[in-house]
Amino acid sequence: MRRIEVIRAIAPLVTPEDLLTTSLGATMDDWWNHQPADNALFVGTLGSVTTTALGMAVSMPHRRVIAIESDGGVLFNLGVLCTLGAERPANLTVLVMDNGIYESIGGPATHTGRNSDIAAMAEAAGCINCRTLTAAAAVGPAFAAMLDDGEFGYMVAKIEPGAHPWPVDKKKPTDGVEDKYRFIRYVERLENKTIHGGAQHY
Amino acid sequence: MNANSDGMPEYARIFVDGLKEAGVGLVTALPESLLKSVYRLCAEDPDIRYIPVTNEGEMPGICAGAYCVGSRALMIMENSGIRQASEPIARFSFRSAIPMVMALSYRGDFGERNFWGHNHAQTMEPMLNALRIPFRYVRRVEQIKPAFVRAFAHADASQWPAALVFSGECAEGVDYAAD
Repeated sequence: MRRIEVIRAIAPLVTPEDLLTTSLGATMDDWWNHQPADNALFVGTLGSVTTTALGMAVSMPHRRVIAIESDGGVLFNLGVLCTLGAERPANLTVLVMDNGIYESIGGPATHTGRNSDIAAMAEAAGCINCRTLTAAAAVGPAFAAMLDDGEFGYMVAKIEPGAHPWPVDKKKPTDGVEDKYRFIRYVERLENKTIHGGAQHY
Repeated sequence: MNANSDGMPEYARIFVDGLKEAGVGLVTALPESLLKSVYRLCAEDPDIRYIPVTNEGEMPGICAGAYCVGSRALMIMENSGIRQASEPIARFSFRSAIPMVMALSYRGDFGERNFWGHNHAQTMEPMLNALRIPFRYVRRVEQIKPAFVRAFAHADASQWPAALVFSGECAEGVDYAAD
């Protein structure tokens, strides 16, 4: 299956009440084009997509939080699997887009393209509800079940290499600072609270 | 080092009380020896969500995520940990201007007797300066509470990280550096 098929399968299941983090690279453009709401924080830090979602999830246990990860991002910071396995936030679901390569920089293999198995590592690290999916038709039902089961979930989608060829005017146009403010203001409206107020002028 | 009747060092109680007064509900840390009583208190405190991690590189994401949904979080590490955490800190700050507050224990303060502690000190200030993180030393217990209040105010207003470095009376085994 292709990454864009996974995005198409899960996008209708994510509501404006949910919060997301997404990995860097082509996934940003895929998500931007399928659900261009500000409830997604586009994390440009390899190895920190899931930890950012973890910080959100434990801070907002009443809200569903989703991390859309990459195999390169997971492999960059494998200790996170052990922290997730220890914490198991019930409102956090992690979806790893595993294409076995570092696609954004030209396609050299990651170690999942050789012998590493992310879902098996996650399970050994103490994570629960770990699944690997290889068929696009199975993604939607499995993801919906993970979102609704009231438990931590960790899904690895084995995808084929190949980014969707979005034209330039469809690519995400925002930078990291704008992404942050859009997300923060969205959460402020959602939760009816102030996260970052203005200057007090005294 | 002053201790309470239960044997808990005075600084550690004030440290955790100061966190609560500053509105911190989430603490993430890679436990080490200089602030060991702080980690124990955080783990036992029902008002603090304590997340121990496997290496310091996990903590900037946890704190960034917490900040962006309106929660105050603190990451705690030995000063050597700033080296491990520098990559995600740099990305979150220089790329996205996401603030975070960190507490570092000062291994290698002036008078350090362990040869292996000196490299931590030698790289700490250069690392913080390279990351453009403003920092203050906290050596006396009466400085702890106002330091937390100021650090969180500074980070939020600047939308940039801020750091506190604990030594002297405010860490364990470094009484020689209390002045």
